Amino acid sequence: MKKSKILLPILISIFLILVMVLSGCPTPPAEEVTEEVTEKEAEPAEEETAAITEPVTIHFWHNYDAGAGQIDVLDQLISQFEQANPGITINQVYLEWQGLKNNVVAGATTGMLPDVLRGDIGFVPQFQALDVLVEMDTAFSDYADAADAVLEAPNSTAKAGDHYYGIASNTNTKILYYNKDLVTTVPTTLDEMWATAEEVSSEDVIGFCEAWMGGWNLCQYIWSYGGDILAPDYSTATGYINGSVAVTVIQKLADLYAVGAFSGPTIDPGAPPDTDGMGTGKYAMTIDGPWKAKDLSAKYNDLQYGAVQMPAGPAGSIGVLGGEDFMMFKTSDAIHQDAAWKFIKFMTGKDAQVEMAKVGQMPVNKEALADDEVLEAMPLLSIFADALQTCKARPVTPKWGDMEGIINTKATEAVLGQKPVQTAMDEAAAEIDALLQQ
Amino acid sequence: MNMLKKPGIKPIFIKNKRILSSHILIRYLLLLLGLTVMVTPMIYMITSSFRPNSLTFAYPPKIIPDASELTVENYLYILFKQNFSKYMLNTLYVAGAATILPAIISSMLAYCISRFRFPGRNIIYGTIITTMLIPGLAMLVPQFELAVKFKLVDNLWGVILFYTAWVTPFSTFLIKGFIDNIPRELDEAMYMDGGTVFTIYRKVILPMASPSIAAVSIFNFLFAFEELGWSQTILRTDQVRTLPVAITQFFQAHNRTDWGYVFAMTCLSMIPVIILYLLLQKYFISGLSSGAIKE
Amino acid sequence: MTTSGVFFRTSKYFRKKDNIRMLLLLVPGLVVIVMFTFYPIIKMFIMSFFDWKIGYNQVSPFVGIKNYLAVFSDPIAGIALTNTIFYAAVTVPGQMILGLLAALLINGIRKFGVTFRLLYYLPVVTSWVIVSLLFRYIFSNNGLLNYLLTDVFKWIPEYIGWLSTRWLAMTSTTLLGIWKGIGWNMVIFLAALQAVPVEYYEAASIDGAGSIQKFFYITLPNIKGTILFCTVMLTIGAFNTYTPIAVITGGNPAHQTEIVLTWMYYQTFSSLKMGYSAALSFLVAGIVAIIAVILFKVLRHERI
Repeated sequence: MKKSKILLPILISIFLILVMVLSGCPTPPAEEVTEEVTEKEAEPAEEETAAITEPVTIHFWHNYDAGAGQIDVLDQLISQFEQANPGITINQVYLEWQGLKNNVVAGATTGMLPDVLRGDIGFVPQFQALDVLVEMDTAFSDYADAADAVLEAPNSTAKAGDHYYGIASNTNTKILYYNKDLVTTVPTTLDEMWATAEEVSSEDVIGFCEAWMGGWNLCQYIWSYGGDILAPDYSTATGYINGSVAVTVIQKLADLYAVGAFSGPTIDPGAPPDTDGMGTGKYAMTIDGPWKAKDLSAKYNDLQYGAVQMPAGPAGSIGVLGGEDFMMFKTSDAIHQDAAWKFIKFMTGKDAQVEMAKVGQMPVNKEALADDEVLEAMPLLSIFADALQTCKARPVTPKWGDMEGIINTKATEAVLGQKPVQTAMDEAAAEIDALLQQ
Repeated sequence: MNMLKKPGIKPIFIKNKRILSSHILIRYLLLLLGLTVMVTPMIYMITSSFRPNSLTFAYPPKIIPDASELTVENYLYILFKQNFSKYMLNTLYVAGAATILPAIISSMLAYCISRFRFPGRNIIYGTIITTMLIPGLAMLVPQFELAVKFKLVDNLWGVILFYTAWVTPFSTFLIKGFIDNIPRELDEAMYMDGGTVFTIYRKVILPMASPSIAAVSIFNFLFAFEELGWSQTILRTDQVRTLPVAITQFFQAHNRTDWGYVFAMTCLSMIPVIILYLLLQKYFISGLSSGAIKE
Repeated sequence: MTTSGVFFRTSKYFRKKDNIRMLLLLVPGLVVIVMFTFYPIIKMFIMSFFDWKIGYNQVSPFVGIKNYLAVFSDPIAGIALTNTIFYAAVTVPGQMILGLLAALLINGIRKFGVTFRLLYYLPVVTSWVIVSLLFRYIFSNNGLLNYLLTDVFKWIPEYIGWLSTRWLAMTSTTLLGIWKGIGWNMVIFLAALQAVPVEYYEAASIDGAGSIQKFFYITLPNIKGTILFCTVMLTIGAFNTYTPIAVITGGNPAHQTEIVLTWMYYQTFSSLKMGYSAALSFLVAGIVAIIAVILFKVLRHERI
């Protein structure tokens, strides 16, 4: 009888001890790292030239496209860099676009972050809000020189507040791709484009395709018609995302969808993906970036397609500025940060940018843009260069990810006809305003 | 005409010889119809893996491709230009460890819970059943913090240990049900021969419960080949990536989907699971059901 | 006949030292489960009462039941729950009925039984990622299914957007769920059927019972335990589904095909609302537990 009273308490105590031990511990790592980092941030300038004496491994997260051959080129560039910089090893990790963000989110709570990340320009304000990015213009004395070598507008996407938290890696905007067999007269204005979409649509063809309905897709139309999605000071969305211009644009898309002239894989998960749809002649037109040319020629050699500037609306042909930036994280110690910065400078240097251009990555490096090899590899470069002159960046705010999700959801509902467009956009405005208040 | 006495014939729907044939014929027909539905998608996948990528969205789709279209380029690409063998080895390693460990742990646990009455037993059993209800994926963030603390990130053991934890409750449950049906006299016999609890475990329980252990093992093995959320979070670098993550690499991005590569990869990755299944299938069917059937 | 080892009494031959040995067998399993599963559950429960932030140094304010209220007032959470219940309500009976049917058919044939069993079980041992991709491909607008329906069998004039709208997409996913699970049920029911004593059927035959009567009065009652087991396990499994929807629709269009786990994942990573997703996980776990208990009581009660 005595023994029976002992075991249960023993079991319970083991359990409680485990729980206490485990729940007691989680917070220290975050605090420890904070102390480390605040100490080390004061030192990097001195340590820069002391440089790499012991072998160092840099973790580099990216989402270069394997199918386009970009990862092969990346591997080549990495071995080139490693040979020129003995002692530094680069460990590259591919993560798909959403996974990149997810893993930074998961890593932010535990301090397990990479040394370098190449991610969408929209990530910079979002990651900065998590307070994990290195303030690059203050951390590295030669930041200004590196920034000078690249185009200004794309690099401005790396700025959040007063400081730069990254440097441009590649840039892009979008132009109109059309199937030459289906589209005989190339539209020059957006209204013409909608009309063409309706004309060429039939049972087997959908005139126009947009991959999804976020800001990335809709902003260009809304801006080109003279509207906007947020107030210029980002204080509110009411009157903008649900303003008359935005509603007219989305109404147009809804009408086109209703007659089978508009679709896309997110609006309709059963529809073919945008590249494959273009390639097989299912979609007649789409507006997309430089990678589309590479994707199409790689997989669908027979397709006769043309590319022109995005047709203009009444306010002009205002495209959306896209691209990726390199970012660095506070969790890396000084030695890793230095090595990471070396790698970033290499990747934004002329040679690396030229190589990447050959696999569809439009360079930001000014010298590379003038290089013959690049012009040869990207015949559409001049069209993009022109488009870059008139394009505009999406709102730079940490809440952009959520906002774009709201826009995507509501616009999709509107286009599918589940709600009147005005209602859907009013809801969107209300939700975005709620976000902005927080 | 009494067929009931003939050996080897299941007496359920048999009345006499004439009805015997038509009944049986109908069965075969229905089963074949069902088989077509069950198996056609798999055949489609295999044949699609032998077609070039550019044809995957061509209409009309073909279940049996023309001979002229057949190509092994997808397989060559996967095997030689991608680190397929590394992914496969990683996955096999994880699958192996995450099968053997739970097998041992849950059989030990099931044995204790089934055979012994100790205070707290019901609480513990109840806890185990409760944890079955909650998917491992829902506890992503706390588990990630745990993995960091034990330095398990980017390490195959970070995946193995958590998979073990996730599958142990159900495995324990099933094996316990099976052990309940093993007569206690066998235990008694071992005790009389001077055995201890350990001996009973090794010599009586393990062999007799092996069908149920085989049953849970096939699922635990499969788990490493299909789990995506956790492996994507823990396994970062290419060196340690497993197949589900690698397959995801290809079908991602709204830009395009190289179904040819995807299917080549999936077909190859099915092979180990199928082999294990064929090896174990004799054993595990009774194991699965005995745990399920309760009086 | 000592009665030491008193509180582990199962056998009069149990010795004192065996208590320790038993403890050794017990502990590894307990440690693993407590540390890697139970502790995170507790942590999640705590998290659900905070506006949990995962930034670098950010403090998570305590918000009481605000997260739970947010879940209740969120329309998409409602959509996710409805979708999940629909999925469970269709796949669970669907798999079981078809699985039972297959088992009955296979039970009565002499040849090729093993072959049929093997092939029917094939989808069960194929990974979810693979079959979801496969079905996405087959069910797309220009995919195999539409091709068969419109051009080969000519049953419908125009293609159906199987993945395009909420209920069609959910139906397609449930078809996938049923297809994948038939083999599992079949195997279990086969064994259950073979456990029913032959004499019952013989006696019934002598009494002049027909096949249908035999099924309802002999077969069904004797496999009730199995039916209960399958129902509970499959229901739990249905609520724990993630991969099929994540791969096939990703919750599109406009979050209308979300199920509880995919929505929770989205809230955790895309919206960074950890407290919300913790609350959602707990609510779902609670619902599953209640359903499991109800099923258990109801089906148990029906037995004689």
